[in-house]
Amino acid sequence: MSEFLTFTLTGLGTGTTYALVGLGVAMVFQVTGVINFAQGDFVMIGGLTFASFAGAGLPEPVAALLALLITTVVGALLNLLVIRPARRANRERLVILTIGASITLEGLALLVFGADSHFAKAFTGGGPISFGGARLPRQYLWCALATVVAVVLMWLFLTRTLPGTAMRATAMDTDAARLMGISPARMSLLAFTLAAALGAIGGIVLTPLQPPDASVGIPFGLKAFTAAVIGGLSSPVGAVFGGLLVGLVEAYATGYISSDYKNTLTFGLLLLVLLIRPTGLLHRASVVRV
Amino acid sequence: MTDVLAAVLRSRWLRYAIFLGVLALVPAVFTRVPFYTMSVGVLMAIQAIAALGLIPLTGHAGQISLGQAAFFAISGYTSALLTTRWHTNALLAMVAGMALSAAVAYLVGTFIFRAQGQYLVLATLSFGLLVSYLANQLPLTGAADGIPGIPALAPFGFTISGDVDMYYLVALVLLFAVIVVDALLRSPVGKALTALGDSPVATAAAGVSIAGLRRNAFTLAAALSALAGSLYAHWSTYMDPGQAGILSSVQLLIIATIGGQRLVWGAPVGAFVVITFSEASKTLIPKVIPQATGNYEIVVYGIALIVILLFLPRGVGGGLIGLAGRLARAVRGREATAVD
Repeated sequence: MSEFLTFTLTGLGTGTTYALVGLGVAMVFQVTGVINFAQGDFVMIGGLTFASFAGAGLPEPVAALLALLITTVVGALLNLLVIRPARRANRERLVILTIGASITLEGLALLVFGADSHFAKAFTGGGPISFGGARLPRQYLWCALATVVAVVLMWLFLTRTLPGTAMRATAMDTDAARLMGISPARMSLLAFTLAAALGAIGGIVLTPLQPPDASVGIPFGLKAFTAAVIGGLSSPVGAVFGGLLVGLVEAYATGYISSDYKNTLTFGLLLLVLLIRPTGLLHRASVVRV
Repeated sequence: MTDVLAAVLRSRWLRYAIFLGVLALVPAVFTRVPFYTMSVGVLMAIQAIAALGLIPLTGHAGQISLGQAAFFAISGYTSALLTTRWHTNALLAMVAGMALSAAVAYLVGTFIFRAQGQYLVLATLSFGLLVSYLANQLPLTGAADGIPGIPALAPFGFTISGDVDMYYLVALVLLFAVIVVDALLRSPVGKALTALGDSPVATAAAGVSIAGLRRNAFTLAAALSALAGSLYAHWSTYMDPGQAGILSSVQLLIIATIGGQRLVWGAPVGAFVVITFSEASKTLIPKVIPQATGNYEIVVYGIALIVILLFLPRGVGGGLIGLAGRLARAVRGREATAVD
């Protein structure tokens, strides 16, 4: 029983970060209609820059802020250099463009950080916490805390500020939003920047638990897609739910079967969801898009 | 007289003959130019065959697949297993590999197209990932070590030894495959595929089973990818899980997109451009930057991909055709003014 509880808690802990990254996927998809295949690379860049700065002796909060800043700039540049020039392209070409961007970012990360894993200490010392017989490393609490704070801030931004409202309007109806004087290009830039920030936060808090290397972008991106797709790509609540589910599946697969099969099961889950409910588990009406 | 000449120039058989000429010239050129070798030529032809199926599937029917490497691998591994474990004839093993891949594609294609648009991209991607993780883990496929010692092909008593022999064989298969897919696209089924990509609703209303059509296009694409996979297995004598990887699937889609998704010529043109890029950057970059590692290559490859996609919306093949059309119009315009 305590074994089951340990797996559940670890799964939920890692799942919160997948939720965060999945939220970025859902946000970019809603505002721009593009699935951003480079979303996982934001996690990779956030984690690697944080580990490097912290390893170079900077205090951890400063390292985290710098990592967040750099990743956000990368997200904005991705939008300005790749997505904006192709705004007239069809969705398929945009998808392949983000794949190209992901390949480029992975190559650049290899040049800057090398191919090795980068390690960082847990944010706070102390042994694992015991909870009902389960033992959990303290860093998982930081994961959950960072996710809750980021989600609340994001919610406040989207519902209480003018740019946030403009972004929601663009997500609902781009043409109507344009008629109201909202620039879709600027909203797309904002969505990519925010998604990069969410990815960076996920990467930073996960670094002590899963030391990142330059190749983690694609697996992280795929887990984020799985999270976002389970939620139907259009609901933030769904993305959070999906992220937790992915974390749980992964933790149970690692614990009860073997860590070799955790990815097979995660992507099997993605395929299953897409085949059973092509528009997501939490999505109510399925609208046929032509 | 000029009318007859114009008709011949427009004829597709002339285009096939030109393509045959280009394919026949490749060995003479590739053995003399730096960074091209015969094995690069074989690789280009194999990748062109694998990407060819995406022309009807993605270019015409509008169904993106990021799982084509799965079929490449299923067939390659079938060839490898049948020939190394049960000493089956290599040609027979190839046929079995293609049949198995096509059967899997038929089954998967029956329900995977419930997901459309970007969901389909993710669905085919996760299918491809499943196959690649399985190839990496199952004892049957040799897990991460793969299967070595696959015998070479020996069609009709000819033994294929060396890259030049293999190139001629693969180039012939490519030419044949191009002709078949081109004929298919010209047939009523091909017109239905194009219509399906333009408007699924109108096509369904015209009485075409769009689900069946998508599934069949998917099966055809899988069979072509499988053909390439078996050819690859018998050529390289070694099958490893990297062949099933997501990057291989991505590369095939990139080849079709860069070459031009609407025309059969997109697959060979794309394979030539994409593989030239990666080979050239492998050879040239260390000369420009002496301490460069293989990592620069990935960056150059990624940036080249982005630039081509941004500036040539219809791919390199489409761009060339557009250029030829503009030239032809310019020439005709000059003739017209001369007559006046």
